Amino acid sequence: MVKLTMIARVTDGLPLAEGLDDGRDMQDAELYKQQVKALFKNLSRGQNEASRMSVETGPYVFHYIIEGRVCYLTMCDRAYPKKLAFQYLEDLMNEFERGYGNQIETAARPYAFIKFDTFIQRTKKLYQDTRTQRNISKLNDELYEVHQIMTRNVQEVLGVGEKLDQVSQMSSRLTSESRVYADKARDLNRQALIKKWAPVAIVLGVVILLFWARKKIY
Amino acid sequence: MGTENPNRANNLQGPSATPFAAPRANMPISSSHPMVGSQTSAFRPTSVPAMPNASPFSSPGPTAGSGTPGFRPMQPGRATPSYGPPTTGPPQRVPAPQFSSTSQPTPSQTSHVGQPILPPSMRPPPPSYVPSVPMGSPPQSLYNAPSSNNPPRSFVDSPYSASGPNIQPPPSSTRPTYPGYPGMQSNQVNPPPPPPPVYNQGGYAPSQPPMPAPFSSHQGGYGQVPPVAPSSGMYGGGSAPPTGVMSGLAEDFCSLSLGSAPGSFDGGLDAKALPRPLDGDVEPSSFAGMYPMNCDSRYLRLTTSAIPNSQSLVSRWQLPLGAVVCPLAETPEGEEVPVVNFATMGIVRCRRCRTYVNPYVTFTDGGRKWRCNICALLNDVQNDYFAHLDATGKRVDLDQHPELTKGSVEFVAPAEYMVRPPMPPLYFFMIDVSISAVKSGMLEVMAQTIKSCLDNLPGSPRTQIGFITFDSTIHFYNMKSSLTQPQMMVVSDLDDVFVPLPDDLLVNLSESRPVVEAFLDSLPSMFQDNVNVESAFGPALKAAFMVMSQLGGKLLIFQSTLPSLGVGRLKLRGDDLRVYGTDKEHTLRIPEDPFYKQMAADFTKFQVAVNIYAFSDKYTDIASLGTLAKYTGGQVYHYPSFHSTIHKDRLRHELARDLTRETAWEAVMRIRCGKGVRFTSYHGNFMLRSTDLIALPAVDCDKAYAMQFALEETLLTTQIVYFQVALLYTASCGERRIRVHTAAASVVTDLGEMYRQADTGAVVSLLSRLAIEKSLSYKLEDARNAVQLKIVKALKEYRKLYSVQHRVGGRMIYPESLKYLPLYGLSICKSTALRGGYADAQLDERCAAGFTMMALPVKKMLKLLYPSLLRVDEYLVKAPTVDDEFDRVCRRLPLAAESLDSRGIYILDDGFRIVVWFGRMLSPDLARNLVEEDSATDFARNQTRRTTSGRVLSTLKFS
Repeated sequence: MVKLTMIARVTDGLPLAEGLDDGRDMQDAELYKQQVKALFKNLSRGQNEASRMSVETGPYVFHYIIEGRVCYLTMCDRAYPKKLAFQYLEDLMNEFERGYGNQIETAARPYAFIKFDTFIQRTKKLYQDTRTQRNISKLNDELYEVHQIMTRNVQEVLGVGEKLDQVSQMSSRLTSESRVYADKARDLNRQALIKKWAPVAIVLGVVILLFWARKKIY
Repeated sequence: MGTENPNRANNLQGPSATPFAAPRANMPISSSHPMVGSQTSAFRPTSVPAMPNASPFSSPGPTAGSGTPGFRPMQPGRATPSYGPPTTGPPQRVPAPQFSSTSQPTPSQTSHVGQPILPPSMRPPPPSYVPSVPMGSPPQSLYNAPSSNNPPRSFVDSPYSASGPNIQPPPSSTRPTYPGYPGMQSNQVNPPPPPPPVYNQGGYAPSQPPMPAPFSSHQGGYGQVPPVAPSSGMYGGGSAPPTGVMSGLAEDFCSLSLGSAPGSFDGGLDAKALPRPLDGDVEPSSFAGMYPMNCDSRYLRLTTSAIPNSQSLVSRWQLPLGAVVCPLAETPEGEEVPVVNFATMGIVRCRRCRTYVNPYVTFTDGGRKWRCNICALLNDVQNDYFAHLDATGKRVDLDQHPELTKGSVEFVAPAEYMVRPPMPPLYFFMIDVSISAVKSGMLEVMAQTIKSCLDNLPGSPRTQIGFITFDSTIHFYNMKSSLTQPQMMVVSDLDDVFVPLPDDLLVNLSESRPVVEAFLDSLPSMFQDNVNVESAFGPALKAAFMVMSQLGGKLLIFQSTLPSLGVGRLKLRGDDLRVYGTDKEHTLRIPEDPFYKQMAADFTKFQVAVNIYAFSDKYTDIASLGTLAKYTGGQVYHYPSFHSTIHKDRLRHELARDLTRETAWEAVMRIRCGKGVRFTSYHGNFMLRSTDLIALPAVDCDKAYAMQFALEETLLTTQIVYFQVALLYTASCGERRIRVHTAAASVVTDLGEMYRQADTGAVVSLLSRLAIEKSLSYKLEDARNAVQLKIVKALKEYRKLYSVQHRVGGRMIYPESLKYLPLYGLSICKSTALRGGYADAQLDERCAAGFTMMALPVKKMLKLLYPSLLRVDEYLVKAPTVDDEFDRVCRRLPLAAESLDSRGIYILDDGFRIVVWFGRMLSPDLARNLVEEDSATDFARNQTRRTTSGRVLSTLKFS
């Protein structure tokens, strides 16, 4: 059964709409909302570009669809049929594109299309019970294939970002350290040069001085 | 100048510039004081109006005028230096020398010039008036000038005009203009009878304590008004004192004769002379005048827009020091608050104190940094927000940024300001359907009203709605959109209330509209025959809480009996006469059962605002029920002995307004102020979430909040104090916004200035809130006394400022800005919430009025305290032609018995109800035309009758 529904813009992770009274009867709804937000942030950085994916988290699963730069995400129980969840998201997607498709890019404030929550609410009710005739027939509909949708774990997904961050951090550290190394090397080079030629130069200088002094005196 | 005597010149000019007061005979002259010229505006605030010294001026001032050569030299010095003395400069207005032209100039006077007779040490710089001396002209010219009746010019007066002849005449036309002339010795001798024109002495050295001065002239106040301080504007308007001595006091303050004035026959006071606020509330002009970028005074009003700079001033000010904030006040057409969207940039705020960017921040460093006006921290300007500065240090793109030019703006809140998606507007009704509710007709009126408002509920199509009814059981209604009729579910287990249905008790209005309408249509008939007298209020409240806690919203409770079942049951109290007047009296006005306060706290936490509509003819313990509204930012509506035929229109109007006015949801408000000032207490209907965060589940334009502030340090070093009110809320359309109001007020060192810039409306609003709060822990009498004492002390303090210099014995003096204060003070004491004792107002009415007054904005509060009274019979007889004629024909009358004529019809309007008063001798024709035949005769007997409706009103198109 559907627990959470969120719609966000992929380009910057801006939330566009969210189901009404989502998170009811859930102890740790906030935790999952945080995860969803982190997920959106990851998406906005251009990772996980797979347009359909399921991500497991605790006793629940996030399913999401990315279409037309908008990410439609829902959180369901693990037992809830994947097929239904994606059909639910497709329903939302069709309606959302029809209603707001041309305004998505220009939305400037969070939850700009919060009015969509009434539709989410209504649609959610249709999918609430998996045993209604309507849903069973949908489940049996072979035309809709969801097998190839990848399932991953949320830690993994969110972790990818972290690991990438780490790598980029390390590489940037490497860059700066190598720059320091180059500086130091140049410095040492100069010192070596000085060490090598300084005595000669001094001797020469003394000799010239002597010559000059002799000339002056005599 | 050529003629000047060098020595003299030195003398005079010695200390940066010597002001001369050459005024009248009794004017002290002090010269040799550095304070010259202080007319400049800059000084105004610092001026201490007190009269300086005790040094009577033995020789008449005109000396200066005598045209002695020595004198003249001053001019040049004077003109410029006058600005010089920084803070000490007294803004004086210079009295015009008033000498009759006929008087002989006595050259002898010259000796006095410049040298004050008084010991300079005691004397603060005297008024710097220099009689005008035409420059460079031989003495004769001096004389000529007077004869021609030229107004004397004072150097001070026109510091800018260098040459004598150009000097402007003193502005006040009332003053006789005498050529500045010596020869006034005679004046000394003369008894004062020709009342000395009053001079307002604006300024003195601030530090100077007022000393008794023997002269009556008050120097100062006319002439160029410094732009900063609207001084002259505020004077005037006072009633002119009858006695000669007083003539002219109006320049500086108003006075009122309370005892018999000497020389007049009538003892006591003249009722007609009492100031009455017949024009309604007058907003102080100084607030916006001084700082044009301040937010409008409808949003924020300070009790005085001159902030005292020291603790001692605060304590001498006596009145509460604070602000009244109405964050969502209704704006007139075309003046909407501009909306600013920073989009991805994030809202620009100070890093340290979190102040929002406002018109008073200053950009420096080529536009790369901005300095916070509240905490003075230098912040970096983000790249997206950067703009170059022009030559004057202003941003070049100023016109594209309303947040930098307007005192009130709304920011679109980014996602960080949301803990959840914006909630939809939600209205939940909890309706008492016991026998009394049915019998009084309340149920029917209410159902009709709600139905008629369904179209206008804000926030469509997201609006949610739901209902619960209760008597001894609780009834839930399933309003699922697929149903045609609502399904009723009855829960009778009051000890363990549960919600019978997870969804569909709260439905989307646009989807379930037919079901909701069907419910409202059938509601009155459903309980038509209900004979249940019990009321399970507490359990029903808990049920409502369970249904609403998910989303929050507005809970409207319609209650017509005393809660009698389950948790939160209340018992009769307040019928014991003996409690009144004892220390236990106040307990009747506070909730008895902690259940209500606890529930209120829970409601606030889940963003539920509770509005109580109480209808009972018997005691319902509004004190307890109202607690729910008090802590959730709600409101209490009380209709004692509701009967649908009488109160129908009022209920309809108030309920419709409650449902349809623009409402802000799940809001929090915080007010910030500059360093050195701190908000100490908050008064109104809300819950404080932390020390200074006001939690408001719902706010609308009819709610205002008052707060008091105190100085944190003994001395304020800044010149200006800034205030910023920020309200973070969800608009009904689902946008999350931050409304920010910014205002600045200058810091003064002068008590008189504080009084001059006081705002009666704000003071009254704050005083009444304090009094009502006091009545919750003390006797009513104590609360009333506290109000009176405050006003008396304030007026006494004000009197101390001036009484020494004017003979005001037996007269009350008060600043123009506070002229209505005593009257409003009396109105507070006579208001329903505070008046009398046991018999004067029912306990419920008293408590309800108290809750109402705690929430009212300033204007409505003043109207409630001093309702408008109009005589309408003349208007009715004249057969109205044009609508706007009404305003012309019907003027507000003073609320005094003399205003009522037994042959007239009057309308009294206090903003909540309209009382139509039919005079006993009203012409029968008129009465018959207005009301039915039979009742017309009744009016002869019942001369007073209350009604809220009727043809009268519709005829008048009375709003």
